[in-house]
Amino acid sequence: MDLDTLLSYQWGAMAPEFIILGVATILSIVDLFAPKRFDRRILGWIGFAGILAALAALMNLFAVDTVTILYDTFKLDAFAKVFKLLLLIGAALIMLLAIGYRPKEGMEEFKGEFYYLLLAGLLGTMIMSSSGDLITLFVGLELLSLSSYILAGIRKKHLPSNESAMKYIINGSIATAVTLFGMSYLYGITGTTNLAEMTNVLPQLNNSQYSYLMGIAFFMLLVGLSFKLATAPFHMWAPDVYQGAATPVTAFLSVVSKTAGFVILIRMVVIVFSNTQAGATGVDSVTPLLFKLQDFIAVLAGVTMVVGNVIALRQRNIKRLFAYSSIAHAGYLLVAVTSMSVFMFESIWFYLGAYLFMNVGAFAVIQLMTANNDNEDIAQFAGMYKRTPWLAVAMGVFILSLAGIPGTAGFIGKLNIFMGALISEPAHYILAALMIATTVVSYFYYFGILTQMFFRPSPVDGEVEKKKIPVGIGVAIGICVLATIAFGLFPNTALDFFHTNFGGFQ
Amino acid sequence: MENAWIIPLFPLLSFLFLLLFGRRLKENSAYIGMVLTLASLVYSLVVLFERFNHPTYKAEVTWLTIGDVQLTAGFEVNQLNALMLVIVSLVSFLVHTYSKGYMHGDGRFHIFYAYLGLFTFAMLGLVVSPNLLQTYIFWELVGAGSFLLIGFYFYKEEAKAAAKKAFIMTRIGDVGLLIGMILLFWQVGSFEYDAIFQAVDEGAISAGMITLTAILIFVGAVGKSGQFPLHTWLPDAMEGPTPVSALIHAATMVAAGVYLVAALFPLFAASEAALMTIAIIGAFTAILAASIGLVQKDIKRVLAYSTVSQLGYMMLALGSAGYVAGVFHLMTHAFFKALLFLAAGSVIHAVHTQNIEEMGGLWKKLKLTAPLFLIGTLAISGVPLFSGFFSKDEILISTWVHGNTFLFWLAVIAAFFTAFYMFRLFFMVFTGDARSKQKEVHESPSVMTFPMIVLGILAIVAGYVNTPWFGTFLGDWLVADNEALGHGHIEGPAWIMIVATVVSLLGIYLAWLIYGKKSIQRDWLTVRMPLTYNVLYNKYYIDEFYQLTVVKATKGLTAILSFIETFIVEGLVKLVAGIVHGLGIIGSKIQNGQVQAYGTVAFVGLAVLIVIFALTGGYLK
Repeated sequence: MDLDTLLSYQWGAMAPEFIILGVATILSIVDLFAPKRFDRRILGWIGFAGILAALAALMNLFAVDTVTILYDTFKLDAFAKVFKLLLLIGAALIMLLAIGYRPKEGMEEFKGEFYYLLLAGLLGTMIMSSSGDLITLFVGLELLSLSSYILAGIRKKHLPSNESAMKYIINGSIATAVTLFGMSYLYGITGTTNLAEMTNVLPQLNNSQYSYLMGIAFFMLLVGLSFKLATAPFHMWAPDVYQGAATPVTAFLSVVSKTAGFVILIRMVVIVFSNTQAGATGVDSVTPLLFKLQDFIAVLAGVTMVVGNVIALRQRNIKRLFAYSSIAHAGYLLVAVTSMSVFMFESIWFYLGAYLFMNVGAFAVIQLMTANNDNEDIAQFAGMYKRTPWLAVAMGVFILSLAGIPGTAGFIGKLNIFMGALISEPAHYILAALMIATTVVSYFYYFGILTQMFFRPSPVDGEVEKKKIPVGIGVAIGICVLATIAFGLFPNTALDFFHTNFGGFQ
Repeated sequence: MENAWIIPLFPLLSFLFLLLFGRRLKENSAYIGMVLTLASLVYSLVVLFERFNHPTYKAEVTWLTIGDVQLTAGFEVNQLNALMLVIVSLVSFLVHTYSKGYMHGDGRFHIFYAYLGLFTFAMLGLVVSPNLLQTYIFWELVGAGSFLLIGFYFYKEEAKAAAKKAFIMTRIGDVGLLIGMILLFWQVGSFEYDAIFQAVDEGAISAGMITLTAILIFVGAVGKSGQFPLHTWLPDAMEGPTPVSALIHAATMVAAGVYLVAALFPLFAASEAALMTIAIIGAFTAILAASIGLVQKDIKRVLAYSTVSQLGYMMLALGSAGYVAGVFHLMTHAFFKALLFLAAGSVIHAVHTQNIEEMGGLWKKLKLTAPLFLIGTLAISGVPLFSGFFSKDEILISTWVHGNTFLFWLAVIAAFFTAFYMFRLFFMVFTGDARSKQKEVHESPSVMTFPMIVLGILAIVAGYVNTPWFGTFLGDWLVADNEALGHGHIEGPAWIMIVATVVSLLGIYLAWLIYGKKSIQRDWLTVRMPLTYNVLYNKYYIDEFYQLTVVKATKGLTAILSFIETFIVEGLVKLVAGIVHGLGIIGSKIQNGQVQAYGTVAFVGLAVLIVIFALTGGYLK
């Protein structure tokens, strides 16, 4: 590669990534040389501004056609843009949470690390969503994973946080190994790591033994990625890690990291395997392998929904409860992946967007409620309406949306997925029914929180302490409430935006 | 008209604002509510006048796209909607004003106003909906607002029971509406009124299906408008504060059923059987409720039964293809019945009882309320030159011309009853001597009398927009450019007007003989025909009948079912709950905090998947 080729690339396509990388580098250097007493919260605001700048740069790229640079390893297509939008918005909101985060044992010294590791994780997810090659994809994945491992243990002097980081890194390594093994199969069969080339090579393989090997590769990738998605069978780390990690990190893992997981699941698994023949002869030679594997994904989706919702019933710790709730939501999203209806992309995108706002909002409230004493029992929410009515109403909106009550974004998201499961050919009646049934189960634990907030007397007697809400968190909660309601009442604003800007890709 | 969507938003703003800041504003909340409903009223009037010179305006946006199905949301300003906007916002504004005096001193004053705002929003939203789905959403929201307001005095057992009853009875009707709506969607592929009418017009729906859906939708109207057999909730709903009775249970929500039938009139008009059903139910309700009204002792209950009866009239008109007559009566009734309720509220406010046997001789003491009540009474009785006279006349003519002779005479008898019981009420409350010790009786403050004066004027003049003498302006305007709605004015024989007048004067005369001049003993009916009296006083024992049949039968069935239930259903439920619970326990157990266990689960999962794949895929040969 000589200098001319290097300069001939449209580097503008990577502007959002460059901005995040640049800001993260600057933050780490400033953090290194700044005096100990320097208030590092300013670094967080710089990071936040960086994310907004990246967002602006991304919007600037909306009109640009698909660009591939660096020998097709980096690909900026409509798919990447539309999901990067979610990733950046989610990261921006979580940065606001991180700025307002003050654990009781203090973390002034390494607060800077907190911010630039968030940015590094974000950079990883963005590279994942743009990668056109297994190598870049894996690098992005690892960048995300390694940042997340440290983030989970960011509260150095807090034992559960350490435990959480330890469990996360062990499970994460297993998942990475499995994923990598799956990728090696792909490389072995096709002889390339490039996804575009792979989709050219795969249709020409017409030996049933190949399709068997492709099947094994598929399962390894699916199980490896299910670690990031927190779906069965690789979901068990989530409750332990979510509970121990600092709340903004939990929000990051449950929203941004999960979104990135779905992005590569679709980018790689769906696109690669829908180009593989299911077999050499007869009908098999014209059906994509993916259709043959639909039932397996369906089973995993079903198991995930049941496990998440049922075990959540027994949780008393709010963050643990939200871990199971987040497993359940990943299950709903897998239903959309299973059904592969004509509007699979938009329903997954919309659901992830709705989930982003309602879940980050809920974690923002949880962070405020549990900040004082690390007590994360649900009883902590008792009488919240009396103490902080505004916060209680906001939390009420998030919970109703998570439960999928009409008038909220969560409802529209579920409706889209549900309809998709029914209209696809063949229709997935059982899966749709299971989705409804588990949603009903979820009402029990969601409404349990509502009961605590609105009907239980406050455990704190006498004068109720007035909570001062940090500006950043207040803004984040406000945005989340507005978005949750707005996209519930006017879902077409989001869907129209999706169609006009990104209608062309499938 | 392009911005008519803003009209429902003012009361919504009032609701949200009072919900958030009402506690601090206390009784100043009234001003917020009044100003915002006044804004709705002013804008509604503007829209109405604009509609005189402009065609129907309709705006829609796609609300949600699922695959090929597009659901829309929007608003429509046609003649009926523009008229309803003015009626609803006017009565709502007047009730907002009146309540400032009536609810003075109530601890939950601001909540009352917040609920009023919510209800007004829902009702205004309902009358501008261009499609069935949106109508249904607001329809339910209206029901929720009514539920909250009936049960406003929730510490009273009766109020709580009444709110529950109203909610359940109307919900029974709503099931019909929902099924009808879904059937229509299945047939037409759209919730749009226009698309439905077009499909009906083109014959795209079979005749049987039209009748079925029309009747199912009418069932929804039966529940909301208190028609037989779902009428029993309306009198009980009088447990709510009196201004609420005036707004919801006289002028607006109960008229929603009539509005729904009117809005979907082209659908109903396509099925003679459906029209007949409506006419029969309407006429029967009119006479049934009127006869019950003859002997009730609670001032608000008399008015409630008269409301049920008058709504029956409107249904009768619509069922007799008298679109104009039904809508016309809806309008005049809204004014004079709201007036009567507000005046009754003023009386109750003064004497602190609702039992008319304890009242009397109030004419001299309530110098403003009494004449206004008289105006309302004259209007509802159909005395010539008052608004009710013209609209009732229109209904009778429609019924006669449509050929429903039997129903026509039923309606005439009901008119006689109406005149009688309304004047019985008037004479007992305002003439004679005070029958019980009343403390100082004061006229209500001007904030309460002002709305009554406005309504009093309207109760007199509202009829003149559509008369056989000065032109049928309203009728011609309502049906303009829509043939499906019938004629603007139906010519009928002149003797009908004379009969109606004579009948109402007879009723008044009889009431005067008994309760005014007292030349006929008051207990005449009680003594001579105790059975009839008891039947009427106990409202034909319909509540008891429901108690005996529906409730008893349900209980009997329950006894049998409970046996099955205890051993089979409950067993199953317990099993399911147990499985869920057990799964939860097992799940939590597996979740033992050991990292190696988590890895194992993942590996086992992967292995199982691959093995099953190999077995089912036929790769192991």
